[in-house]
Amino acid sequence: MSEQNFAGNARKSVIYIILVATFIVIFLRLFQMQILEYEFFNDKSISNSIKAIEQTPLRGVFYDRNMHIVVGNVPAYTLRITPAEYNKKLNRTLEAVIGEEPGYIDKILYENRIYSKFVPIRIKRGIDFKAVSWLEENAEHLPGVDYIVEMQRDYPAGIRGSHIFGYTKEISPKLLEKYKDIYKPGDYIGYTGIEKAYENILRGKKGYDYVLVDARRKEIGKFKDGKDDVPSIKGNDLVLTIDEDVQRVAEQELKGYSGAAVAIDPKTGEILAMASAPDYDLSEFSYVTSQDYLKKLFEDPKKPFFNRATQSANPPGSTFKLMEAICALNTNVIDTNTTFTCLGGQTFYGRYFKCDARHGTLNVIHAIEHSCDVYFYNLIYKIGMDRWYEYAKKFGLGQVTHIDIGDEAKGFIPNAEYYVHRYGEDWPKSIMASLGIGQGEVNVTPIQLAQYAALIANDGVTYTPHLVRGYLTNDTKKLVPFSFKQINLGINKRIFNIVKEGMYLVVNGSGTAAGIKSKDIVIAGKTGTAQNPHGKDHAWFIGFAPFDNPKIVVAVLVENVGFGATYAAPIAKKMIEAYLEKDKFQKDEQMEQKNFDNNLMGAKIEN
Amino acid sequence: MRIDYKLNDKFDLGLIIPGFLLFCIGLVAIYSSTLHNPHAAGNFHKQLVWGIGALIAFFIVYSIPTNLLKPAAIPSYILSIIMLIVVLAIGKRVNGAKSWLGLEGLGFQPSEFAKLGTIMAISYFLSRQNTNLESFKDILITLAIGLIPVSLILAAPDLGTSFVFFGLILALLFWKGISTFGLFIVLSPGIVAVSSLFGTYYLIGCLIAVIICLIIFKKDIFFSGAIFALNIGAGFFTNYVYGILKEHQQARIKSFINPWADPLGAGYNSIQAKVAVGSGGFLGKGFLAGNQTQLQFIPEQWTDFIFCVIGEEFGFIGSIIVLALFMYLFLRIFKLASSSKDEYLSLVIVGILSVYFIHLLINIGMVVGIMPVIGIPLPFMSYGGSSLVVNLIMLGVVANVYRTRKNYT
Repeated sequence: MSEQNFAGNARKSVIYIILVATFIVIFLRLFQMQILEYEFFNDKSISNSIKAIEQTPLRGVFYDRNMHIVVGNVPAYTLRITPAEYNKKLNRTLEAVIGEEPGYIDKILYENRIYSKFVPIRIKRGIDFKAVSWLEENAEHLPGVDYIVEMQRDYPAGIRGSHIFGYTKEISPKLLEKYKDIYKPGDYIGYTGIEKAYENILRGKKGYDYVLVDARRKEIGKFKDGKDDVPSIKGNDLVLTIDEDVQRVAEQELKGYSGAAVAIDPKTGEILAMASAPDYDLSEFSYVTSQDYLKKLFEDPKKPFFNRATQSANPPGSTFKLMEAICALNTNVIDTNTTFTCLGGQTFYGRYFKCDARHGTLNVIHAIEHSCDVYFYNLIYKIGMDRWYEYAKKFGLGQVTHIDIGDEAKGFIPNAEYYVHRYGEDWPKSIMASLGIGQGEVNVTPIQLAQYAALIANDGVTYTPHLVRGYLTNDTKKLVPFSFKQINLGINKRIFNIVKEGMYLVVNGSGTAAGIKSKDIVIAGKTGTAQNPHGKDHAWFIGFAPFDNPKIVVAVLVENVGFGATYAAPIAKKMIEAYLEKDKFQKDEQMEQKNFDNNLMGAKIEN
Repeated sequence: MRIDYKLNDKFDLGLIIPGFLLFCIGLVAIYSSTLHNPHAAGNFHKQLVWGIGALIAFFIVYSIPTNLLKPAAIPSYILSIIMLIVVLAIGKRVNGAKSWLGLEGLGFQPSEFAKLGTIMAISYFLSRQNTNLESFKDILITLAIGLIPVSLILAAPDLGTSFVFFGLILALLFWKGISTFGLFIVLSPGIVAVSSLFGTYYLIGCLIAVIICLIIFKKDIFFSGAIFALNIGAGFFTNYVYGILKEHQQARIKSFINPWADPLGAGYNSIQAKVAVGSGGFLGKGFLAGNQTQLQFIPEQWTDFIFCVIGEEFGFIGSIIVLALFMYLFLRIFKLASSSKDEYLSLVIVGILSVYFIHLLINIGMVVGIMPVIGIPLPFMSYGGSSLVVNLIMLGVVANVYRTRKNYT
């Protein structure tokens, strides 16, 4: 055994170099990872183990003009499943617990398959308390199953407001694609009415709680004890312009009919009530809407989803005469001394047009009072097509009012051009006689007629009709009002007074709506009957009160009932009373409640 | 002063202090990584107990007469082989490999002990007076001594440990003084085998390189042909073995080639380990404050991924301290091997060093992403009794040689 040859110096050096080089390589690699690429790995590490949990903000509630809550929030339970942790063997059991058909859970999981398996999916909202307690008891055998408390809409005032409040719904994939920065799958979004129009204000801002998760994405605790959490910001509450009582009356009075009723404060354009019948129960939309209920609504031939107040366009009938009178007076075609003689009918351009009665000789005021057709047949020929068209447009008829909830029909006002286009240069001028009494191709919506009535009542000045006054700040609950466009026709008050005198007589003289004369409130108005090719005539009434200082105008449409004064005017009267005689109205309600209670007590005693 | 001198003279503090410090740092890391894991909650205490046992084993080995180390070689080797066979027959399966013997409730891995047995046996053979590495036969005998335990370990199958054996065989041959050509014969089939895993083009490239080397060495044509045939065989045999490997083992090899290809599957550990170390930064996130560690992103981190805990919670500084301790220890051992005049003892020490070194290289290399994910523990630090005991027994051998170095140097 030689002492030197088993490990020569060269071999020692090789091993020495391998040893030292290895340490240098690892050292450099650590330097690269921990110093140079630190930020890259740190970001990875943070996103690895910190999960942001979205906090859904409370949606703003609706107050009516008297600060009574008409749309609120109530807690409801939602069942969720996290697919990554869930075992599909539980499907049948869970479906039985929440009262759904077999296959229900699979269907929802399939619909949500494109989202992360670690994000809980809402399976059913509004599960009952029995189901919640069952989930609570069996929690340990239900991996990936949980429930959360979510706020759902509630309608505590007992008014339906189906078409004005609108409903919220889980966001559709199409909208989600459009607003993917703001919404996530399963978020609720305003779909109709005020909920839709004021979505931006109502929804608030999402918050985020940061939690630590382990490698299986299981929550372990708060990140930095919640120091970095972003609290959610509650949506702003809206103050509506509607009056709970007027709205309730409108809804109740329209029950059983098809029609619409709109009440406006003429000085501000604030909508005091807007009802459309038939309507539907919004609380059915708070949770997952039952398919049966939806089917019933969609198959109803009267189309409950259709907001007749803004979307139905019908001939205005005699209510149109007021515009013609103003037009004629303002353009000096007539004055109060100008008369026409009604012999029960008259021939224009070879066609005979009837009137309801032989009114004899009357001026514009009495022509309005009695709604004399002959007078207005003559008048339109005096005014001419162009001015007639111009004034109809001036009053906002046949065009959208730009009401804040949108979804309006335009309606239609024909002009000479339209008839030339349709019949040629020598179109039958007899058509104009029909137009003169608001029939034929003229089509207006109830909201347009309400705005029209507001312009007359307030002497040619009002604001764009709207349902929302403003929103409340979250901290101080101060009202931040929205501004709305003023409409000013620039027509002398004198002219409105003439027309209003006629409207006064309609109710308080021997006019067409004398039936709604009230001893406490002086109401003025105008009836209308819209001819309807599909059945009985539609009844119109527009009116305002009090006569001296109009605080409310009303436009009512009742479809397929016949004469306006009989059906539409009494509804308008009740709405006016509900608004102007609030004290009395409320007293009546309290009395009724008392009587009801007394009866109950009586019944008990008898037992 | 005199006592101090004597202590240092007989007992190398330069060996035991780094080893002890590494064990302590390992304990800290085990504590941190098992704190929130209900299945591993007792591991800190178990490791502490193992540590005491290992220390006793260290002193026993340290104290035995040095001249007993050589006669113990063959019995140790035979005992190792028997235990490896027994474990294959009746052992329990842990993590897919049948390499554990149940012993009074404590797990025990014969393959750990087989490392020392094999080192001693090969050293014994190589240090025989008439062993000549110029002879092809002696090389083959050396390989055979090593490959018997390797084949038993591969049958378990425990890929990681068999790598350690290849390494120690190579180190011993090199230290003994194998010629460059001999090294080429031993090494080239290995390189060809590994290259075949990367694909056909790599395999062909390597085989061409082998041909070029054979031409340069200018050995006779039949011998060169035989060597080349051996290389081709190694390449195809590896492909065959890869084919019969368990799926999770194939996945590990694949994930080394591209860990990001399957980030939630086989590449997961590798990525999470790198994220843990990289996100530690310069100073680290602090003890018990590493989110990767505390939130259990890396499975069984206290065993093969213990270095992640250091990297994440103690940062670059902590990692460098650990590296420095290892390097100091290794150079210290190497110095002793270089200065030892007894060939057998010198070979044993180099063998032990090579085992430590390969463990460190593969383990830390795996954690920092420059080595494939091969599950072998980090010496002194990883949780695991057999590994700790064997490492300290080996350190005891080294210390024993140091104690009596004057008799042999």
